[in-house]
Amino acid sequence: MTLPMGTEGSGETPPATRVPALIVTHADLAQALVRAAERVVGRIEDVTLLSNEGLSRDDLEDAIEASIQGWTHGGLLLTDFWGGSCHTCGASAARRHGELVIVTGINLPLLLDYLYNRDRLSAPELAERLQQKGRDSIRVQRGVPA
Amino acid sequence: MSWALHRIDDRLIHGQVLVAWGARLNPARIWVVDDGVAASDWERELFREAAPGIEVRVAGVAEAALAHAAEAAAAGAAFLLVRDLGTARRLAEAGAAVEEWNVGGLHYAPGKEKVNDYVYLDARDREDARVLLHAGGRLVVQDVPASRAQPLVTLDPALAT
Repeated sequence: MTLPMGTEGSGETPPATRVPALIVTHADLAQALVRAAERVVGRIEDVTLLSNEGLSRDDLEDAIEASIQGWTHGGLLLTDFWGGSCHTCGASAARRHGELVIVTGINLPLLLDYLYNRDRLSAPELAERLQQKGRDSIRVQRGVPA
Repeated sequence: MSWALHRIDDRLIHGQVLVAWGARLNPARIWVVDDGVAASDWERELFREAAPGIEVRVAGVAEAALAHAAEAAAAGAAFLLVRDLGTARRLAEAGAAVEEWNVGGLHYAPGKEKVNDYVYLDARDREDARVLLHAGGRLVVQDVPASRAQPLVTLDPALAT
């Protein structure tokens, strides 16, 4: 299932330099992440979503390929975890698209950071930044006994 | 202890294998047995890097059949993954002694009939399954350890004939 987000309505076209993103996850995590992000920043455009639900390797690879067909200047593939089918099939599809960069381990802070930086950084720069952002966002706070 | 899981799954290495079966059986090695993957440098590399902390060996059917008995005596647990029943059959016919195959994911493609949510078979798959069963192998359908294990013949009675 591919759900292009918000391609109608705003009347604005995205900047020519915007790095597009395809989020590929298990079940409906991609939709849930974008819904959660929209609660924080409002309507989100130019992000494509895909689930691996019920798909063989070949079919998932084809679905990823179809989703990034229109990307002429590269983009980011955001997947849930390293070694999962979303990642390995993405890596297969990415082979045919030089500027495509994959970032695994997507979380909400990482997604939000993508949205705020996708119009000013290149795909490889963005990927480096998001890797750090995703890591830094995981913190532990211990309770203090009363 | 070596062979802990022989699995038929068209996704080969993926989440259910790494996370769910991996947590249960703690493999030291994963063999990806597939002539296509073995013939492709970049696909070999892709799977070798797919399981951090686990040694991934990519082999064609003939090579894996030759190595199968030696691996059975090696230290640590090992998984063997093939993408379809035909590969499992060829591996058995090449001499690998596999008592039980876990059928973990054979997804829909045109011409395939639904057996359950994650197993779809066509006539050729059923023929391969019958050969494995007649040779004394067991085919057990179970996607993850937490779900119920069921013989493929129970879910697809046509195989018993």
